[in-house]
Amino acid sequence: MSDITRPAVYWPNNSKWLQHLLPYVGGFATRLSYAAVGLLLPLALLGLWQFAVTHEWIAIQLLPPPELVWQSLRELWESGDLASNLAISLSRIGWSVLIGSSIGWLLGFWIGLSNTARAYLYPSFEVFSQFPVVGWVPILIIFLGIDEALKIAAISFAVVVPVTVATYKGIVNIPRNLLEVAQVYRFTRIQILLRVVLPAALPSLFSGFRQGIMQAWLALVFVELLASSEGIGYLMVWGRQLMQLDLVFVGVIVIGIVGVSLDLSLRWIESRLQSWRHAAH
Amino acid sequence: MAHAATLEIKGLNKQYQVRGESLSVLEDISLSIKPGEFVSIVGSSGCGKSTLLKLIIGLEDDFQGELLLDGNRIVGTSLERGIVFQEHRLFPWLTVEQNIGIGLLNNTKLSEEEKRKSVQEHIELVGLKDFASAYPYQLSGGMSQRVAIARALVNRPEVLLLDEPFGALDAFTRAYLQQELQRIWEKEGITMILVTHDVEEAVYLGDRVVVMQPRPGRIKRIVDIPLPRERNRSSAEFVALKEEVLREFADTPVTETELVAELVVEEAYPNIHELKAA
Amino acid sequence: MSLIQTIRNRDWRGAALPIGLLAVWYIVTAFEWVNTKLVVPPEKVVQVAYNYVTHASFIGDVIASLTRDLSGFVLGGVAGILLGVALGLSRWFERIVGPSFNTLKQISLFAWLPLISTWLGTGDSAKILFISLSAFYPVALNTFDGVRGISKAQIEVARVYGFTRWQMVTRLILPAASPQILTGLHLGLIYAWVATIGAEFLLIRSGSGLGNTVIQGRDAFNVELIVFGMLVIGFVGAFFNHIASRIEARLLAWRGDQA
Ligand SMILES: Nc1ncnc2c1ncn2[C@@H]1O[C@H](COP(=O)(O)OP(=O)(O)OP(=O)(O)O)[C@@H](O)[C@H]1O
Ligand SMILES: [Mg+2]
Repeated sequence: MSDITRPAVYWPNNSKWLQHLLPYVGGFATRLSYAAVGLLLPLALLGLWQFAVTHEWIAIQLLPPPELVWQSLRELWESGDLASNLAISLSRIGWSVLIGSSIGWLLGFWIGLSNTARAYLYPSFEVFSQFPVVGWVPILIIFLGIDEALKIAAISFAVVVPVTVATYKGIVNIPRNLLEVAQVYRFTRIQILLRVVLPAALPSLFSGFRQGIMQAWLALVFVELLASSEGIGYLMVWGRQLMQLDLVFVGVIVIGIVGVSLDLSLRWIESRLQSWRHAAH
Repeated sequence: MAHAATLEIKGLNKQYQVRGESLSVLEDISLSIKPGEFVSIVGSSGCGKSTLLKLIIGLEDDFQGELLLDGNRIVGTSLERGIVFQEHRLFPWLTVEQNIGIGLLNNTKLSEEEKRKSVQEHIELVGLKDFASAYPYQLSGGMSQRVAIARALVNRPEVLLLDEPFGALDAFTRAYLQQELQRIWEKEGITMILVTHDVEEAVYLGDRVVVMQPRPGRIKRIVDIPLPRERNRSSAEFVALKEEVLREFADTPVTETELVAELVVEEAYPNIHELKAA
Repeated sequence: MSLIQTIRNRDWRGAALPIGLLAVWYIVTAFEWVNTKLVVPPEKVVQVAYNYVTHASFIGDVIASLTRDLSGFVLGGVAGILLGVALGLSRWFERIVGPSFNTLKQISLFAWLPLISTWLGTGDSAKILFISLSAFYPVALNTFDGVRGISKAQIEVARVYGFTRWQMVTRLILPAASPQILTGLHLGLIYAWVATIGAEFLLIRSGSGLGNTVIQGRDAFNVELIVFGMLVIGFVGAFFNHIASRIEARLLAWRGDQA
């Protein structure tokens, strides 16, 4: 009757034989078979794509054949164009995340720890945080032009909001009783910060960081599509202008791969962080 | 109106898989319950009382042995069998009234009007008239439990299983609801099975009291309560029967913690047994 | 409480920063300490705002954007709930579709726009599809979480009372998952607005909308218009957010104040 093991919702008249069978299959084999099952849909779609192309259901300008996409991907990779554009995009992400999360953490800690700062800044920040980032871009263009500064500024904007919110919330939501313990043992301010606030808020600090990176990723592609002459987004704009849809597909695929890798590595770090926290306790 | 049913439990065994190991929770439970009988079950925590009810209600089909209702094997749940779970299990998004209405949701015998009336009656029965449109988060534990009792009763099942339904109630409400339960039982002739930790309650309401023992859960003894109703809790016969059940109940070492506690006590007072005997 | 008390009890310190900034803005432009072509004076923004608000075509732009936004949101929201419920209910569906869904979700939203606009053109259908995609992911994801989290105890209650499949969905699954579904819809509403403005910026040459107008302001170096447009975009976003929070609080009143 424990609610902790939450199974899929019971469904009347569900056939149960599979559920009985599954535990007997070895853990590794099960995982492997799940992975295989997960590949069914992409493979089917790929098959459909190939089928549609060979039977000329859709004009080739609108749907390039899979092998053409693959070929373009390889050519772009071998010529180094893909790597250089990707490197530019990733460095934009890197700088913006660095700048944006630094600002976000500072701001978050400040308004989280100081009641005065909170009273003065939080209302404005709350309104500011609800403005969509894309809305800022035109005004940033006016002040910064359309060069590198624009991209870094716009993407940093996207990072600041989630990082600040998560940091602030993480600090404000620290359980009172933890702080009381610190009071009982007469911790100094620095001790409270380092031994209570920081560890207790760490999960939300990290989750804000993760959201920030994902927002940066969103904003990056947007500004690169809007105003850029290099980068992975530009590659897509270029492909679209030349009506070379294979390039656009390559762009989507590369963006997907980077997105998945970012997500996986962030998850990995998060799980390491958590196990480290548990080990420390 | 419900017609009561014979419930036959034959050689029931139930295991749970806990971390790959098979844990025997019920072993060789056999019990025959006559139509309209009131059976109380007592036993220490963890001896499988809730599990037994879960099997009877039909929520679990992985067991050995037979469960027959009027000679028919119990398969799955049915509106003919009702249960008050140990935890109230109200839907938090429904009001008191709507939660009780869930009991009649799939009842095809009553008209909408009759259903509404019946829900109102049961709200009053459990004394929650002023809370009809309150949400569960606004209720105390005891009030929630009363809603759960009303939800189970409103459908008038043939067999009603009650898993410590009065556990969270104050003594006054508890006595009142015991009376009401007995009244409904006498009037409707429902077969009732009541799991309780309160031996007095078990003796007061039951035609028989089943005492279970843990690890694995088995029936230790069945005590007949041949007293006429209304029973007088302070009569000599009542007290004697209560003592009898209590004795059975008491010399099963209860849970692990209690077992440990007993050992600790023994260590501290080596002559505890003499003291107890005295 | 009287109005005066309400005003007095309010923490007005939060107003200091915006008022201060406004004052600085006013002073630096009034004394022309900055290039007023770039940093336009606030009163000029107000004037432009007045011109535009009284202008029928601007109202038309706003309505066009809102219609687009909400159509996309509704489409994406419904699709998201359907997929989320299906993923949460069926282990096998989850195993087959889940991995693909989780992969596609990582593709930065705007990357779809070049593809969509090639296939569907730059008109409303492309924009609405894109907007619905942006609302779809958070709704599907959160709905899935909600449905997965339904407790076994509640399912047992439903079985005891003989719920049919339809009742399972409407009386258990949807209400039990409603906190997460509403969270998803709230996020979806925010994303849909970002996507609306973004799509209008990027597909500037077709149709009308708030985003088109603002971007045209940039091309014409009409800074007043840009500032004003940005404020409108921001306040629409904030308004949606506010409405969504209110609706959420209303619908989830049964949770007490744990929210
Ligand atoms: N779903 C389950 N999976 C594994 N073990 C279980 C499960 N449900 C119950 N058990 C185990 O079965 C035993 C009996 O549990 P049960 O809930 O029936 O006890 P109980 O007699 O009702 O106890 P209590 O008086 O405390 O309610 C316990 O040891 C419990 O740990
Ligand atoms: Mg129990």
